[in-house]
Amino acid sequence: MPIPPYLDAAKDLEPNKEQWAAYQSEGNFVALAGPGSGKTKVLTTKLAKIIHEDIEPPRGLACVTYSNECARELRRRLKKIGVSGSGRIFIGTVHSFCFQHIVRPYARLADLDIAWPIRVATQNEQNEQFSNAVSNTLGPDQNPYDWRFPSMAYRRVYLDRGSTVWKKTDKGCANIVEEYERLLRNRGLIDFDDMMLLGLQLVKKHDWVRSSIHAKFPAFIVDEYQDLGVPLHELVMALCFSQGEKNCRLFAVGDPDQSIYGFAGAQPNLLQELSKRNGVGTETLRLNYRSRQNIIDASELALLEDRGYRSATKETGVIEFHGFPEGLKQQAAFIASKLVPSLLKNEVVENRGDIAVLYCTKYEGDFIADALSEAGTEYLRIDNNAAYPKTILTRWLEDCAQWCMSNGGNEAPLLRSIINDYRKLNNKLQSERDRIEAGQKLVRCLMRHNNTNEPLQKWLHTLATECLFEHLRADGTQDQEIANLEALLEIASDDGKISDWTIERFGGQGGTPEHLNLMTLHSSKGLEFEVVILFAMNDGIIPSYRQTKPEQKHEPRRLFYVGLTRAKTEVHITYSGKRETRYRTRTSGPSEFVAELKERLEK
Amino acid sequence: MHISRIQIRNFRNFHDLDVKTGKHLVIVGENRVGKSNFLHALRLILDPSLSERSRCLQITDFWDGAYPLTDESTIQISVDISDFEDDEKQLAVLSDYCVEHSPRVARLTYEYSPKPDLESTPSKDSDFDFQIYGGDDDTREVTREFRQRMPMDLLPALRDAESDLSSWRRSPLRPLLDALCGELDDSAKESLAYAIEQATKAIGETDEVKELGEQISKAIVSLIGPNHSDETSLQLVPSDVDRLIRTLKVFIDDGTRSINDASLGSANVIYLALKLLCLELEIEDNVRDHSFLAIEEPEAHLHPHIQRRIFRAFLNPRKHLVGSTSDTKERNPNRSLLLSTHSPHIASVSPLNSIVLLRATTRDDHRTTIASSTAEAGLEQKDVEDIERYLDVTRGELLFCKGVLLVEGDAEEYLVPTLCKQLGHDLDELGIAVCSVSGTNFMPYVKLLSSHGLDLPFAVITDEDPQEGKDCLALSRVKKIAEFLNPDYEYSDDVDVFFAEAESEGIFVTEHTLEIALFNCGRPKAITRTVEELTSVDAAKERAKSWRKETESLDAEQLLKDIGKIGKGRFAQRLSTRVLNGTCTSAPDSVKNAIAFLVEQI
Repeated sequence: MPIPPYLDAAKDLEPNKEQWAAYQSEGNFVALAGPGSGKTKVLTTKLAKIIHEDIEPPRGLACVTYSNECARELRRRLKKIGVSGSGRIFIGTVHSFCFQHIVRPYARLADLDIAWPIRVATQNEQNEQFSNAVSNTLGPDQNPYDWRFPSMAYRRVYLDRGSTVWKKTDKGCANIVEEYERLLRNRGLIDFDDMMLLGLQLVKKHDWVRSSIHAKFPAFIVDEYQDLGVPLHELVMALCFSQGEKNCRLFAVGDPDQSIYGFAGAQPNLLQELSKRNGVGTETLRLNYRSRQNIIDASELALLEDRGYRSATKETGVIEFHGFPEGLKQQAAFIASKLVPSLLKNEVVENRGDIAVLYCTKYEGDFIADALSEAGTEYLRIDNNAAYPKTILTRWLEDCAQWCMSNGGNEAPLLRSIINDYRKLNNKLQSERDRIEAGQKLVRCLMRHNNTNEPLQKWLHTLATECLFEHLRADGTQDQEIANLEALLEIASDDGKISDWTIERFGGQGGTPEHLNLMTLHSSKGLEFEVVILFAMNDGIIPSYRQTKPEQKHEPRRLFYVGLTRAKTEVHITYSGKRETRYRTRTSGPSEFVAELKERLEK
Repeated sequence: MHISRIQIRNFRNFHDLDVKTGKHLVIVGENRVGKSNFLHALRLILDPSLSERSRCLQITDFWDGAYPLTDESTIQISVDISDFEDDEKQLAVLSDYCVEHSPRVARLTYEYSPKPDLESTPSKDSDFDFQIYGGDDDTREVTREFRQRMPMDLLPALRDAESDLSSWRRSPLRPLLDALCGELDDSAKESLAYAIEQATKAIGETDEVKELGEQISKAIVSLIGPNHSDETSLQLVPSDVDRLIRTLKVFIDDGTRSINDASLGSANVIYLALKLLCLELEIEDNVRDHSFLAIEEPEAHLHPHIQRRIFRAFLNPRKHLVGSTSDTKERNPNRSLLLSTHSPHIASVSPLNSIVLLRATTRDDHRTTIASSTAEAGLEQKDVEDIERYLDVTRGELLFCKGVLLVEGDAEEYLVPTLCKQLGHDLDELGIAVCSVSGTNFMPYVKLLSSHGLDLPFAVITDEDPQEGKDCLALSRVKKIAEFLNPDYEYSDDVDVFFAEAESEGIFVTEHTLEIALFNCGRPKAITRTVEELTSVDAAKERAKSWRKETESLDAEQLLKDIGKIGKGRFAQRLSTRVLNGTCTSAPDSVKNAIAFLVEQI
């Protein structure tokens, strides 16, 4: 019998004692993984070990992570070591786990009070009902936008609706959320967070739900634990620590220092508490395979913590500060016309794709994007001002475009997985025959349109009308993706902002070596680049001018830390003497984190 | 785990069948009632070997009464599965298909229905399509992977065990030998290969063998020339050990005869044993979690004794395993048998709760088959044991008849058929069984036969058993049965009126006792002569004579005592011969009415 490929991957872990301990662990285990410590490698190899050695089919395991993007990456890495997604392995977000494996199969059996078939509200429907909820509870003069984030985070943090904590901590939020949910239910809708909250509710309430999940998934694996918040933590408690013999086995990885979703309800202490629990093995992965030692040291200085992380290389990296008396435009111009060209010229990096410009919000992103466009530099932008949102559907369309470009080359996504993902867009049951026919139709459509210089508009239009709209509508729960597709068609049409794109450009949106990476600090999590440019590190931007109290500054500090730790060899930090806001320009210096770091480094 | 309920709508013989079932299914019914269709319905959902094309039905598969077809015409088959919660693998597979949660019941449904958005009324095969879904969510697909985890295997009625055994592709020995090849370690293989090589050499080096080998080669060369001829040699067996193991065969009679020489019966037994081993192996190897093994006419070619022995052990692994260790018991539960049989020998050793009776009836002028079982009959365990013993002893007569007369004892068992015959009803021809409950405890049998159970037409004949100064004994007995059969009816307090009402439920009270009733209904001669013939008591002979002469002088209690001394059974036996040879057609009202009632029902 051939040796399963994960055993080869495991050999790489053996020299690193900490990684090896995590790989060899039995029972519940938490790996606290510093930046660049090979967390994903440990997680995927361990997952492969568990599924091969510890769990017999038809039982399987569930691996939940922060976003669809993370899940996609995990699936890609797992495929490399011979673990392919199958019915018995779930890899996805907490939301989709709860929806697919708890709410859909058990909601009706548990008499949960939601409409059937389940319909998920589109973003527009959510916005509309949220505005109604705010106006019904607080009066028509309130701006719903001000309440949106706090009440949605509140909803994710205080889960026990019967408790006084829920009712008293923030009455306004509590009332809005209750009203919002009532309005959705009246229309037979649930929203995205409902999937998770309802799923959690079922798990906590019913023995038989828990034992069903345990039967299907005796092991529960969590990636990015620190970002997943209270609902996931309670799900873990219910599945892994409250049912004796029928506890699922937990394997969790994460890094409290990289917890940057507090505004959305994440709490870094949950992972720490978990690692200290009785009966939970733990290990800290300290060896950093990514960054040079001086970059690691700088990041720990910025974090104000001595973690004792060690670099795997002996070389020294570069940390440079670039101050500008003028505003963001000046910074952006410097990056686009000086810094990036010189990095390429001096062969610090081979390709533009090895460089990332990171910033706080899409607002700053616009500055750098404009400067790069002006300089004629190709870039790839990942933030909310990206040309279109990255959803399961748009990602799939990018895959299709890539396949068309590559003519079946090695780097191309497999046609088989394209067809599989296509099928998953429509969960309405079809006969095998219809399913095969739909797949054939898709393949014919893609084969006809493999001229990479064809305008995106035409290609999209054909694909949408021949293969997508009907397919998505048949599912009944894909209203949001239908809206996304319509929006994409809109911006690709004659007056749209990507009307000049070709299939090739679109397919390249997954990233190519030639594209400079533009993204928010939040989006950069989990990624690494040869060179990281931290753009617009101004006072008032990070921490934001609204974050004035000491306890509010922990999270932006961690965000800054995340930015620094993305770099392998060089970090460039730019800041200004002026700060533009939407409304005016203020005079301001570097961010306090930057000033502090500069000072400490000089010492 | 096991199938706990089957529902079939609009499929072939079945208009609307709904039956609860036990661990195994023993399907009993007349020819052409739809036993194979019943199994085929289950295959549509459970059998992974069925091709996609044959899984899709055709419009001719609709029940006759379903025509003309409309947009609503649907064939629906569903199977409920219970008792799987303690096996985590089975739970893992079934938990998403549940329709009840405490305890869990999973449901799998096959649906053949018109495609949506048809422009006209569906009229041809291509207007229809099928889907198989789990739970009550018709978007939750039951996949091929599922069918492979808990598959149904069918051994069809016209199987040819002998040829299957000798064909490598179909032989149930093949997976067993394949597994063996995988298990042998290299050193064992090496030493085997060495031994064979030696043996082959020894034979090959014999001069005579060598010579023959050369002759063969020469003969071939002379035919097609040296360039085209294959090299040949005479060998015992291939020297590759894996290939060698795959040539192993089952021999019988101390290895002197191959299967081809075995009787059809032995071949069938061997085939069955190998098949069962394969199923066990697949469960051990975690290829599947449960097996549904369907066998059509398992009795084929088997001697009755063998049938009883094999299937008693199969169907009651705990009670009757002969000569096996407790180990076998441990491995058995992940298997359910589905037998369709005409054999009273198999039916009579089947656990009562496994029996499924299929019966034809008419609905809206079309023939349809309905099913009944005892799963919901509400029988207590000790009653079940009594009835199973009864079925065993009577070779399952109850399961193959069209109607039943329940009587108290041996005497009735002899006399009632005879009396009926005299009345012009041949019970054998009518398919009516006379069942003695050996006493007056009719209730278990009533439960068994009532609409809660097997739903067979039946009548009860019981003695009045009058008591001095008190209500007759029959009163409470009849009341219990009548109230069970028709709980909503308000029966009269007047005994005579009540007994008349009970007759419409099929309960018939014989005035006094059967012997006395016979005497009184015009057969005093037959009774008294039989007493005279059989008794050894002179006084009894005298009494019999005097009662014959003066029928009014009958002392009923004394007559019963005299008959008791002879033995009720023996008396009845002789009496019935006498009745049969006579021409008198009179009979007690209870018997007359009961048989009329039953004939009407059939």
